[in-house]
Amino acid sequence: MNDSTINNQTHQILDVIIIGAGFSGLGMAIQLQQANINNIAILERDKEVGGCWRDNQYPGAACDIPSNLYSFSFAPNPNWSRAYSSSHEILQYIKSLVSDFELQRYIRFNTNVKKLAFDEKAGFWTIKTDETKNLKARSVVIASGPLANCSFPNIPNLKEYKGHKIHSARWDHDFDFSGKKVALVGTGASAVQIIPELVNKANHLTIFQRTPAWVLPRLDARTPHWVTSLFRKIPSAQKLTRQALFALHEIGALGLIWNSPLTSAMQQVALKHLQHQVKDPWLQRQLTPNFRIGCKRVLMSSDYYPALQQPNCKLITWPIARMSEKGIRCVEGIEHQFDCIVFATGFDIGTQTAPFSVKGIGGRDLGEDWKRGAQAYKSINISGYPNLFLTFGPNSGPGHNSALVYVESQLNYAVQGIQRILNEDLARLDVRKKSQEKYNIQIQKRLSKTNWNSGCKSWYLTEDGFNATMFPGFATQYSVQMSQFEDKDYDRTPA
Amino acid sequence: MASIDLEKMRQKIKDTQWALVDFDWESPGAEKITAKQWPKLKTFMADLMWIEHVGARGFAALAKSAPTENLREIYTYFHAEEQRHANAEMALMKRWGMLEENESPVPSANLRLVIEWLERYADDTPFNLLATLIPMLEVALDGALCKYLLETVDDPLCHKVFAKINDDESRHLGVGFTVMEMQGKGPHYIKLIQLLGHLVDPRLIAGAMVYFPLLNSMRDNLIAMGMEEEKLYRSMEKFKKIGGRTSQGRRNPWFQVIHYHGTIMVNRSNYFYHVPVDMLVALSNKIPRRLLPAPPSWVAELTHRPIA
Ligand SMILES: Cc1cc2nc3c(=O)[nH]c(=O)nc-3n(C[C@H](O)[C@H](O)[C@H](O)COP(=O)(O)OP(=O)(O)OC[C@H]3O[C@@H](n4cnc5c(N)ncnc54)[C@H](O)[C@@H]3O)c2cc1C
Ligand SMILES: [Fe+2]
Ligand SMILES: [Fe+2]
Repeated sequence: MNDSTINNQTHQILDVIIIGAGFSGLGMAIQLQQANINNIAILERDKEVGGCWRDNQYPGAACDIPSNLYSFSFAPNPNWSRAYSSSHEILQYIKSLVSDFELQRYIRFNTNVKKLAFDEKAGFWTIKTDETKNLKARSVVIASGPLANCSFPNIPNLKEYKGHKIHSARWDHDFDFSGKKVALVGTGASAVQIIPELVNKANHLTIFQRTPAWVLPRLDARTPHWVTSLFRKIPSAQKLTRQALFALHEIGALGLIWNSPLTSAMQQVALKHLQHQVKDPWLQRQLTPNFRIGCKRVLMSSDYYPALQQPNCKLITWPIARMSEKGIRCVEGIEHQFDCIVFATGFDIGTQTAPFSVKGIGGRDLGEDWKRGAQAYKSINISGYPNLFLTFGPNSGPGHNSALVYVESQLNYAVQGIQRILNEDLARLDVRKKSQEKYNIQIQKRLSKTNWNSGCKSWYLTEDGFNATMFPGFATQYSVQMSQFEDKDYDRTPA
Repeated sequence: MASIDLEKMRQKIKDTQWALVDFDWESPGAEKITAKQWPKLKTFMADLMWIEHVGARGFAALAKSAPTENLREIYTYFHAEEQRHANAEMALMKRWGMLEENESPVPSANLRLVIEWLERYADDTPFNLLATLIPMLEVALDGALCKYLLETVDDPLCHKVFAKINDDESRHLGVGFTVMEMQGKGPHYIKLIQLLGHLVDPRLIAGAMVYFPLLNSMRDNLIAMGMEEEKLYRSMEKFKKIGGRTSQGRRNPWFQVIHYHGTIMVNRSNYFYHVPVDMLVALSNKIPRRLLPAPPSWVAELTHRPIA
């Protein structure tokens, strides 16, 4: 804010351009700033920061990793009001990062990146946006988010429906649900948060489920006052809490990632949770997954099952045949009509495809290279695309721990790479193809032993069943692998 | 009928969906049901619609035990399609004045027992048994019941609706016979031993105790309505012919058991079978209604209303 000129330098070559102003992009800027790299810009297509927490403001939106862990370690917040904070509170936290670290000056809002192309001789990236003028930077960090683009289900005649449509990640706060007959499509992570809220607002709510997920109880609670003041007075107490939470979630990996006795134990807990909350045998059957826990994202909710059994709520598990002008036709032959349909159907997964056109050395195209499955070196660099860093690249996703733990490792690694480019004045810092291949063979070998690859369909996998999303290991393993920049695996070309 | 490509079949099923709103349930033709026909037709339709519904539950069980993702999805569709048949048949009953608003036909005592059995054990029934039994029932339905209905009822809407139902059924049979043949693969003796093991399973014996009388009473209802027994023979022959057209199909031991049973079932001169089974029919009709357990909640999903 004190240096508005940075924001207007369009003609010169920036050191780093960051794409996206969510947790990752802002965290990247903070880390670069702390490494004294200030000739940077953040390009954000929206008019606000916050990424998925700006977009996901549906009723009930909250994180399902405790806030003390789902926040940056370098920016602890003693004031979290609950164990699992609401989306609104998380967004406030993200905004506080911007003011606390004075990031405003770097951000260019309403700037949608369309294309990246690398000039291999000169060693910089050209960034094409909606605006006429192109931008240039020696390095680019893609932080456009793993779950930033809404996905609608593949239902025939989707467009035919003339009633009101809402996607969970683009909530319509002006729509009045009272007295309305409402449908909600999907029973994933967002759905189980929305349903308990919506059932109290709508006159009638019908849920369309394709496959049920395992649901564990969520032990949410308000943060007691004394804890907040303790954290404020003795920050190390909060640090300790965070470490304990981290360790607890790491143990969870044993059950969620691999098939172990803990897996069966967790599945038993989830099953007992279901049987305790749902007494009707048929409803129980409809809600019982036919896959091992951990294969898909495990949901956390204590009020989802009770909400489904409210008198004004109905679960439909018939396959959907098509949409019609007034509603949804299912294969059981009945047209279900609604005033409004909410799609809680998730996202196009960013780790599996190129987010926009990216042209590397010799004009190679990332979309083309990733057609058979996205691959990167340690999830962060891609051979043939020098000076480019990814957050939430291929196989960087956690299934059991805070995504921000992974992001922090990525930011740290990217800073090390960018420092080399700047300090050694490199035109190209490019990971070796062999090293990338070796890394991926290892990753896929390890993935084949995980629950995610145990036979269920999930958004972790592509249509062909390739897993380019998840990291097969503990968060600690990931952090260790990212702690040291592996110089021997890179080719360096001086400018 | 050659074995079909089950992957293509899944897409075909998705592409050929229909709904109750596709028909005009108020269109003229309902008056063609004669006063003489009406009471027996009502019983027949109620039975038919319950059989569809019970078949639906059978497919739900198959969806759970299906060996591949593709078959799992196909059976999930078939589950819903059988429900659609039951719903459409209820809509016809409503049109013919056989149902009040919000009314469901009352299932016979036999059917109540079958429903109860399905509720308890269907999901644990061996895939191979169900996957062979259902095509047999479908042949019987398709070949005998539906044909008979269309011969005796003149309401044009009924014919239109059953054209759709029969299209669905032909796909059910296509898949059914293909899966039966798939089961004929692999060592014969292992399958035989597995089968023998299942035959002495008390759950299956209980199943037979409710299922055999159901078939007998259905057969008697049909004959009482004036259907020739010949039709039942012929449909059973059809099952035997298609199911056994390849050596693989014949090597499926469940096929052998079920078609053997089907042959006895339609042959009323086999007293060793029919005397005890008919006694079971009589017995189940004597069970006081209040002793029968409340129907499971999946039964409440039936509706004659095209729009919800
Ligand atoms: C509803 C929901 C709940 C979640 N809960 C948890 C949780 O409890 N625990 C957990 O660990 N993780 C959770 N996640 C995962 C979450 O995605 C990550 O934790 C993290 O917030 C991702 O941050 P990000 O900055 O990488 O991406 P985002 O927050 O998605 O930010 C990406 C930004 O890039 C911008 N952008 C995208 N494309 C372009 C473009 N072409 N040009 C310019 N700008 C662009 C977007 O507008 C957005 O602002 C959740 C995700 C969702 C959607
Ligand atoms: Fe049918
Ligand atoms: Fe059928």
